[in-house]
Amino acid sequence: MNTVPKHLLENAAVFRYPEEIRDEFIQTADIEFRDGSRVTALEVWDYLTKVGPVKFPNLYDNSNLFTGRLSHDVTIPFTLKHNYLLMTMHDRMTKAQADGHPIVFVQGGQSVDPYYAAGAIALRPASTGIWARRQREGRTRREDELESQEEKQKAYSAISFEVCNSAGYEHIQEGNVPADMVAPFTALRCSDVSYGTEAHRHGPKKDKVKLLLVDYPLDHQKDKEWAIQYFAENLRRLTRTIDEKTGRTTTEDDLAAEIKLHNEGRRLSVEIADLWWSAAHPPTNGKDRRDLFQLGGMEVHGDPVASLSILREAKGYIEKRVREGHKTRGIVDNAARLFVCGSCVFPNDFRTEEAGGIIVGNDNHWSDITTMVDESGEPYYQLAKAVLSYPYEQPLVERAKWTVEQIKKSRTNGVMFLYKWGCNTQSAIARLLVDEIKAQTGIPTIIIEDDMTRTQTEQLQNRVNAFVEMVS
Amino acid sequence: MTLKTVEVIAQRLAARPAELAAARAAGAKVVGFQGYTLPEELIFALDLVPIRIGLGGSEALVELGGRYISTKNCVYVRETVGLFAEGTDPYITNSDVYAFDATCLQTFRTAEVIQYYFKKEVYIIGVPRNFYLDEAQTYFTEELRNFVSRLEAFSGNKLTTEKLAESIALYNDIRDEIVAIYDYQATLHPVISWEEVFDVIQAGYVLDRREYRDLLRALHGELVAAVGPAVIAKHDDEARIFISGSVIPPGDKKLIHIIDQLGGRVVGDDLWSGLIPYVEVDIKEPTLEAVAWGYLHRTPHGALPYLDLETDGRIRRLKSLIKVFKANGVIYHTLRYCDPYTFKAKETKDILETLGIPLLELHTEYAGSDIEAIRTRVEAFVEMIKLKAETGVAA
Repeated sequence: MNTVPKHLLENAAVFRYPEEIRDEFIQTADIEFRDGSRVTALEVWDYLTKVGPVKFPNLYDNSNLFTGRLSHDVTIPFTLKHNYLLMTMHDRMTKAQADGHPIVFVQGGQSVDPYYAAGAIALRPASTGIWARRQREGRTRREDELESQEEKQKAYSAISFEVCNSAGYEHIQEGNVPADMVAPFTALRCSDVSYGTEAHRHGPKKDKVKLLLVDYPLDHQKDKEWAIQYFAENLRRLTRTIDEKTGRTTTEDDLAAEIKLHNEGRRLSVEIADLWWSAAHPPTNGKDRRDLFQLGGMEVHGDPVASLSILREAKGYIEKRVREGHKTRGIVDNAARLFVCGSCVFPNDFRTEEAGGIIVGNDNHWSDITTMVDESGEPYYQLAKAVLSYPYEQPLVERAKWTVEQIKKSRTNGVMFLYKWGCNTQSAIARLLVDEIKAQTGIPTIIIEDDMTRTQTEQLQNRVNAFVEMVS
Repeated sequence: MTLKTVEVIAQRLAARPAELAAARAAGAKVVGFQGYTLPEELIFALDLVPIRIGLGGSEALVELGGRYISTKNCVYVRETVGLFAEGTDPYITNSDVYAFDATCLQTFRTAEVIQYYFKKEVYIIGVPRNFYLDEAQTYFTEELRNFVSRLEAFSGNKLTTEKLAESIALYNDIRDEIVAIYDYQATLHPVISWEEVFDVIQAGYVLDRREYRDLLRALHGELVAAVGPAVIAKHDDEARIFISGSVIPPGDKKLIHIIDQLGGRVVGDDLWSGLIPYVEVDIKEPTLEAVAWGYLHRTPHGALPYLDLETDGRIRRLKSLIKVFKANGVIYHTLRYCDPYTFKAKETKDILETLGIPLLELHTEYAGSDIEAIRTRVEAFVEMIKLKAETGVAA
């Protein structure tokens, strides 16, 4: 599968999966789903080559300016299956809801074990946005972007123009997606998520969506027994509230089983990261690395079993690539290895790679994945204890210490702290965190703000590219 | 004419920095604090000197603070950090330790930044967002217990029931006096203005609390002697403005002066730097549980989300105070990047609209560059309210 001609992938305005890979791809494993159903690789192939291009032409835009562009690394089956799951988000969520699974809007960077234990589906802002956009068919990339911006304007009007750009409030507030609940962990990573949840009590959809805050206590929380007990009680309240929707009773055994499943995902992601970082040459491009590592959060597809099934398969491919010294196309030798800290913002991987860099790691959506839950004892307590120990949420010097460990493991040679315009909570400590990282490692750092409206994309990339040049 | 006690309070305020320095030299220990859900009764009960720190209104300090914390934090937070960076504020330099709460997450971050860059000893109190639940009460009680134990270790003093009872009684007196005095600024022919009462409230941030209680009693007595009981009433042509929204700390008079210059009359507020922390605080007994309950059941700060609009204590209090002070318009003051209050602006406007109360949102910082823009908007708002008050018809 390493012989796909370059012209088939990079020189076309519209991306198509090349026929040359079909025969090998369709021999790969099925995707398994939570409801026991399966999709074969042949079905995935047919969807991506026949259905997808018609329904979502925007996703097949092949411009490097498009951050969400489909990966050209088509010889690793994970990339195709991951894209299949994202493209079918609307269909799958609609079916799951009809089957009695409430859909709950949650925060990014949090574990989702208790939601699934109670029979719900937890979607973070990015996944909710994907669900909303997959309802629109036949759009060009430009049309899709314009519609998304228009929806965001509604959130500004209903809440505040300083509302975080990434949080997806508009999709629920405006009824773009029929979420059943908004129930994120509060104060974890962000302050806007609490205010955004509260904002749903007001407006035309206020009676349609159940609201709940799973309150995440702050300040040395993992070392305080009373904080663990408090958060555990919040988790129990969460499952009870979901139970009111489903009519079932979530038991401790349900949660214990879910923790076990999610621990497997978390563990696999960490193992894949260790493999990836150990390689002399990056075994995938930056976008695929990020997608792979984040699969361990078990929430991006709205189906942890599906995420786990492709994660299991992916590990074998990464092992093989590392063993064989695979060189990923588009990554220069001795690329500047960058680590991204901060919240929600990410530069364009493809263009960063064109400039001679590669993003090898990030703290956001990684801190929770690297935190295993003890499978012995009372599961609510153990889950609470683990969640309160997320390194990203610890006092700053402790957070920096963990970040430095990731930086060293990933052999990073430049650290970028990126935050979104209006993000009070992460921007506040950007300077502090990079100063501490620099003090401990001597690695160059940069802080960049982005407004995520695409009007500043070029400015963001310009700064990233200049940093890559400096680090190189 | 300024009341005599108001003048005395101003004089005592001017003398306070030197007095505090002398007290420290004589062995007193000072706790500089910032936050809404931080019971200063506990600090006082441990024979420590509580000083509420933080100022507003200085562009230079905001810029200085922005070098350490982000420009995406509100100007109050940035100025607080700027005060530490500059190192000349007498209340900050005369504090031995610092305490912050996590009501507003930006305050929580401020504490972390101060700890790191200025090497200060900082205690943080976690504050539950689900503050109305039983488990939150337990959690917050334990946070207070932890806070007390750190203060005990720092001071060498032990918190006793007697000391706590004495402290709660003192603070109850202060709260009662403030609430009683506050009514006088909203009367038909006031002998004290809202701005003066506001200054009196904020003087209590730093003055010795026993002396402050006595000064409040004296001021209350002077008001009673001058006009008898406070009877809140309004003229037909008044633009009676209620201020809601983000903090207006000592030093930030930009909006208040604009309203005054344009013929508006501020008659009430629900700011956490104004009246609201003193209203209906019910600490039933001298225990940490009771202190926790009393603070969690006050009018909620905007940073503490509440998910049911119909039973939200903050909204209920806002409506009630507008009625009590016979306000006919609300200026909703929001500082840029103050998410706890900016997120609620549209909702608050919609709620008050159903009551026939117009709301003007002013989004500002400490910069002087928007003064004329604010002036234009306030002028139009005051005109509209006056016209409506006189004719009963909106402009």
